[in-house]
Amino acid sequence: MRTSFEELRAELQPEIDRIVAQYPQRRSALLPLVHLFQDRIGYAPPEVVDYVAETCGVTAAQCESVISFYTLFYRRPIGKYNLQVCRNLSCTLRGAKQVMERFRERLGIDHLQTTDDGLFSYEEVECLAACDRAPCMQVNLRFVYDLTPELVDEMIAAMRAGAYHVKPLAQTEPPPREVRGPAWPRAHRKSAGAVGVPNPDNASGVGDRDGSEAARRLRREGVAALAAPGRFADAQTIDAILAAPNDGAVMEGHG
Amino acid sequence: MGTYEPILTKGIGELDLTEIEVYRKTGGYEQLRRAVREMEPDAIVDTVMKSNLRGRGGAGFPTGRKWSFLPKDGRPRYLVCNCDEAEPGTFKDRMLLEKTPHQVIEGIMVSAYAIRAARAFIYIRGEMLEGYEIFCRALGEARQAGLVGEKICGGEWGCELVVHRGAGAYICGEETGLLNSLEGKRGEPRLKPPFPATAGAYNMPTVVNNVETLAYVTQILARGAEWFAAIGPVKSPGPKIVSVSGHVRKPGNYEVPLGISIRELIYEVAGGFRDGRTFKAVQPGGGSSACLFEEHLDTPYDFDSIAAAGSMLGSGAVVVMDDTADMLECALVLQRFFAHESCGQCTPCREGTHWSEAMLERLLEGRGRKLDVDLLGTIGDKIAGHSLCALGDASVPFLQSVVKRFPEEFLRGAARLPGVPLLAAAAR
Repeated sequence: MRTSFEELRAELQPEIDRIVAQYPQRRSALLPLVHLFQDRIGYAPPEVVDYVAETCGVTAAQCESVISFYTLFYRRPIGKYNLQVCRNLSCTLRGAKQVMERFRERLGIDHLQTTDDGLFSYEEVECLAACDRAPCMQVNLRFVYDLTPELVDEMIAAMRAGAYHVKPLAQTEPPPREVRGPAWPRAHRKSAGAVGVPNPDNASGVGDRDGSEAARRLRREGVAALAAPGRFADAQTIDAILAAPNDGAVMEGHG
Repeated sequence: MGTYEPILTKGIGELDLTEIEVYRKTGGYEQLRRAVREMEPDAIVDTVMKSNLRGRGGAGFPTGRKWSFLPKDGRPRYLVCNCDEAEPGTFKDRMLLEKTPHQVIEGIMVSAYAIRAARAFIYIRGEMLEGYEIFCRALGEARQAGLVGEKICGGEWGCELVVHRGAGAYICGEETGLLNSLEGKRGEPRLKPPFPATAGAYNMPTVVNNVETLAYVTQILARGAEWFAAIGPVKSPGPKIVSVSGHVRKPGNYEVPLGISIRELIYEVAGGFRDGRTFKAVQPGGGSSACLFEEHLDTPYDFDSIAAAGSMLGSGAVVVMDDTADMLECALVLQRFFAHESCGQCTPCREGTHWSEAMLERLLEGRGRKLDVDLLGTIGDKIAGHSLCALGDASVPFLQSVVKRFPEEFLRGAARLPGVPLLAAAAR
């Protein structure tokens, strides 16, 4: 089924109205609106730029200028798995270089590139605020901690086999609580270092919340919570949204 | 090691504080109720002023004074909570956001009441998707419970709290860059003055405070200004969440009283070094701070003592390096960060960070010149103080401190042969 931009916009209209109304000036809705569409489409195509510009009362050029300032906004399709590995100091001190080398080697692409099959985008990013679990990374903005080259191999294999699950991206409205299992079978999971405050942050690797929380959420929200629509859940729809296929070319840079 | 009473970190790891009922059982939202129903806003400002609370985001500016700068001219005021935590080595705000979102909400609402804000905003770093979702959920609960929105706690006062998600830009942690980003613009810092207190968000009087700072406001209300002021040094009091990372056995967030020694932080709190390694250097306040060395280990960890030792406490990110750390590599990593995050408005910052990075890169590849090392030690003098915001200044201290201390580690790459191009041209 093909979904046009117009249909998507119509679907999102209540949320768009809510976002615009919460600010004293409509231009403030620019970032949230780009997020809203990008979370569904995967990037911000020209239709989104034009629509957001009009809604926020700026020109398309001004809107482009703003979008290009932010590294998390994409003007072209990116891979199904957006791999963002921290290259900053704390991670470097704990072996990020070996991790990054392994990624480049296994994926055959460099910083800010996307594989021809559209499966992976790879980026070396700045401090992700998870230095206690260094080296760390995000997969579609979900954290993965305590990386090792072996873990990289495992992760990529799981992704290629379709056995790696990423939680859908956020919508602006609070998403339903949902149950998450382990993202992929982890053979080498290190335990979190003990910390001075009682266990401040030892809960989450990607999706490996403890069973009790999962059970609690299931209890509260019911199974319906499991069926949240998301970026990758309806890939065909997304592909069709603008009939703007990924030309398969290696992407250089963002924006 | 001395054990310190957890304040903001209390219950984290033991209780699911993302649940409003759980948070309430720990006394949560009691201070918001008390503030709104029983206190005059100015009394809260006075209490915060008396506590001597200094901003936990990096600059360490006294919070009460910041609030007192707001002009009383009847224009709407805004409170913005800065959760754009991206200072290299800092991970305390993300923990608070993900683990105790209600504590963050209460801190914001109490402070919004204190300054009579027309609306409150929280700017959450774009990468913190998990925290954003958790916070939105908690906010929904709080709104339903009448703690955010109209007639808060059944009183007359009402205030909306708007969640604004960033999209990947370190500079949006700078308060005026943040305000531009909130207004739907590029996150480029503004020329100051005017300061946000007189012309901030939407050109209205605005206060921008860090997450941890606002969370302590609630505690100061609960326990009294005297309690807070009595912890640690007089001019730099209170507990502080310190993010320790790097070559220590137990990296993590630790809530300690300001004024404990750096030695205690590294060797006792964070468990010392791994595998018989030894101390080489420490960055006491995130990527923007100058390195401190052995002779500084007994320096008290508080704003003024760290400044007197030649560095800064910053956001409270302690990055520890053992004898295996390659200072040239560390310097390149941080300089690349600043070059990447410079917004590009000011020439000294934009060009200075870029050229320092280029010099470090060629030194690391063994293609540098001795002149590069000399230049790296002094180029910062042309950057610091010559740009709109603090990012340019921040790119200088680490580099200068390590070049001065370990020149041989930099000179090892200064063996350039004549005719080899100087620019690595590694575009990024």
